[in-house]
Amino acid sequence: MWPPRVSRAQLVVGVLLFALGAGLAIQVRTNTESDPLRGARESDLVRVLDELEQRTQRLEAEKHRLEVSRDQLESSNNRAEEARQQTDQRAQVLGILAGTVKATGPGITLTINDPQGNVRPDMLLDTLQELRAAGAEAIQINQVRVVASTWFDEPVQGQITIDGQRVTAPYVFKVIGNPQDLQPALNIPGGVIRTLEKKQAQAVVVPSQQVLVDALRAPTAPDYARSAPGAGNG
Amino acid sequence: MIAVLGLVLGVVVGFFARPVIPHELEPYLPIAVVAALDAVFGGLRALLDGIFDDKVFVVSFLSNVVVAALIVFLGDKLGVGAQLSTGVVVVLGIRIFSNAAAIRRHVFRA
Repeated sequence: MWPPRVSRAQLVVGVLLFALGAGLAIQVRTNTESDPLRGARESDLVRVLDELEQRTQRLEAEKHRLEVSRDQLESSNNRAEEARQQTDQRAQVLGILAGTVKATGPGITLTINDPQGNVRPDMLLDTLQELRAAGAEAIQINQVRVVASTWFDEPVQGQITIDGQRVTAPYVFKVIGNPQDLQPALNIPGGVIRTLEKKQAQAVVVPSQQVLVDALRAPTAPDYARSAPGAGNG
Repeated sequence: MIAVLGLVLGVVVGFFARPVIPHELEPYLPIAVVAALDAVFGGLRALLDGIFDDKVFVVSFLSNVVVAALIVFLGDKLGVGAQLSTGVVVVLGIRIFSNAAAIRRHVFRA
């Protein structure tokens, strides 16, 4: 059979078989390549497309749902954060009032020297009231923090106690408030300082931009009083 | 001999040249290949029977391919493309088997 005799018929058959081989190879290669959509029928493709669209819709719906829930969580998180900040702020304010936290700010330091031992508790109370009236926000006398329930006593002559703690001269008032209000309030004619001087006690007022009230008082929960529901937001 | 050469050449070209089949013809290629295979087996049997005629082979090859493609095309238009192509493949497969059986009898005398 070699060399092949070349006739027209032989050539035509060869060309046809060439086409067959090429088609076979292409088809085999197409199917081997892992693309299931190649050569799929139209109806199958339509079905696949439908499924994809449904899946897309489901996923879109889920995405929307998750986004809504994310937004809700974010906003509630923001609200919680805001509420926490407000609570913190309120706790600070109330802590200064109740004497459970340290306080700092502009104010005055009032030192009362009492070499004769003539100062009585009521004079200290008058001084305190004068300071409160002048807008003092946080006060400590020696190492005792002054709060709403502070009381003065003199169980033995010459022994002054504040809230049950013994204090001795010199009495140092550390007061946070506006110095321009506090200083004149103490110095007015017939006021606290004049009264003290009449008793041979020297009072010195030193204004400062940075007064530290660092005496603390343990927080106590009231035994009987409860906040009334609906009675304001305090 | 040229025929075998053409077949081998076709496989090589189809595998390595990666010709692009027009998209509209893609569904018909597998059916056409099966139909052509049927024609080739028929031709082989005729060759062994000593009655091979290249004109008959060419005509049967082309008509097989065209008719098979036509049936699939018609099936697609009628919406039964998948079933019809299955039918065509079954019929051609049976024919290939019977041709192969005849060839086997010639080669192995059994």
